[in-house]
Amino acid sequence: MPTSEDLGIVLLTLRVAGVATALLLVPGVLAGFGLARYRGPGRGALETLLSLPLVLPPTAIGIVLLEALSPRRAPGAWLAARGLELVFTWKGAVLAAMVMAFPLLVRSARTAFEEVEPRLVGIARTLGCSPVEAFRRVTLPLARRGILAGVVLAFSRALGEFGATIMVAGSIPGRTRTLALAIFQQHQVGRDAEAFRLVGITVLLAFGALWVAEWVGRRGERVR
Amino acid sequence: MIEVALTLPLAATTLVVDVALPHGVTAVMGPSGAGKTSLLEAMAGLRPRARGRLIVNGEVLLDDARGVRLPPERRRVGYVPQDAQLFPHLSVRRNVLFGARVPRGRLDGLLEVLGLTRLLERHPATLSGGERQRVALARALATDPRLLLLDEPLAGLDVALRERVLPYLLRLRAEWDVPTLYVTHQLGEAIVLAERVLVLESGRVARQEPPLALLAAEVPEADAVRDLENFLPGRVRSHDVDGGVTRVAVDGGGEMTVPLARERAPGAAVTLVVRAEDVLVAVDAPRGISARNVFAADVVACARAGSDVTLRCRLVDATSAVLVRLTPSAVGMLEIHEGRRVWLAMKSHSIRMT
Repeated sequence: MPTSEDLGIVLLTLRVAGVATALLLVPGVLAGFGLARYRGPGRGALETLLSLPLVLPPTAIGIVLLEALSPRRAPGAWLAARGLELVFTWKGAVLAAMVMAFPLLVRSARTAFEEVEPRLVGIARTLGCSPVEAFRRVTLPLARRGILAGVVLAFSRALGEFGATIMVAGSIPGRTRTLALAIFQQHQVGRDAEAFRLVGITVLLAFGALWVAEWVGRRGERVR
Repeated sequence: MIEVALTLPLAATTLVVDVALPHGVTAVMGPSGAGKTSLLEAMAGLRPRARGRLIVNGEVLLDDARGVRLPPERRRVGYVPQDAQLFPHLSVRRNVLFGARVPRGRLDGLLEVLGLTRLLERHPATLSGGERQRVALARALATDPRLLLLDEPLAGLDVALRERVLPYLLRLRAEWDVPTLYVTHQLGEAIVLAERVLVLESGRVARQEPPLALLAAEVPEADAVRDLENFLPGRVRSHDVDGGVTRVAVDGGGEMTVPLARERAPGAAVTLVVRAEDVLVAVDAPRGISARNVFAADVVACARAGSDVTLRCRLVDATSAVLVRLTPSAVGMLEIHEGRRVWLAMKSHSIRMT
């Protein structure tokens, strides 16, 4: 049976992955749209930069984040001045998850936007839509499925994030120890039964997330 | 009045158009790649590289000399591309209402004229080609456009479908009176629908004249004038079961008699289709003739095309025009010329009702 400690781990994991995905949604969709439409110089470099977290070891990303967040560095100093403590807090875990999940959402969204017939946008313009309205009424609804798939991918990635999270947030029980970290921790101290219980919970969560995504997608189908 | 003075670089050449088009329908013809679609897109504001001037009934949509360049959403130009481009995520109703600006009553009338009333809840993926074209047309017209741009609305439709869509265009022409540019490959369509034809050749206006003059100017591609037909929209007036005929009130005035078709209720909107070579011409009022439909008409244009002569006749006491195809020898024998009064006779059985 799951213990109350397990429940705490699950809630923390869901909070980290949920907040990370929610914060990523708007910038991820906009970046995907930008990449799909932008044809100017530097496009290749931009794409490579955005895909970096996919190819680098998560621990490498983690140590770079940790360094950037130190009070000696500009970003860390800026955040500290605003009272935002990220290192060794659950917010740090959110940041690590965001960085790792961002490229997945951007790539899915970009593909989805590229599949939208650009002439439909022109037609929407002749029917009285400003560029922003055309995006909201035509481009976005048509790219919806791909974006949703990207959100599921990003959420799943955030759910299982390990390497960057342990560098930035550590593995503090009750504060930053998410499911992925807890499984590792239990195994390290030889409690494999406990570790497998957590694995079971993770499987359930993953199924739940996929089921919710499917349901949202279906509901959207019916509305349109 | 539409003033178009545009230049636009194309793949192989540059589109250079400088014309003034009076009211009504202008057909745009010319070989593929001549710039017909580019011209329409530039007028709709979808080609940012287009330069020049576009003035529709005094409204300046584009004038680079004065720094005026309205974005597409402020031009109020209705554009119907060749492949309709309906919004796949919206029902027919929501497609038509997408940019609707006309009052409710006029919108209902539009849906009825285009025969869309029963399709409103359908999705574009489930529509036939002709239905898609009609929805795209309704969507453009519902915005109450100052100018209508149609890119081959009948291309890709088979003969049966064309015969169903063309009457809608004729009805729209009569009821809405929006200045229109109409791209087509069919001179027959241009003759039926348009006041004048603009011929584009590698980006330049090669010719601008009435469609019949174009017919006369050269031996047209056989394909372009094959099956020259008259389309007369009207409404069923009554059935005469004993006489075996149905009487139809033609929208432009006058009554026609066709073989009995009781399945069409009185009041139903129909279109009468008559091939140009099925119309008989007499220079005196004919008597004792079996043809049920005889009308006085004036010859307004007379043009030789290939081995035939095509006449455009305006019915006396009606606004309908009828195209007639004769052999040059018949024209010579009857001394037919422009301005001459003639009588047109059509057998009931040569008229198809759709």
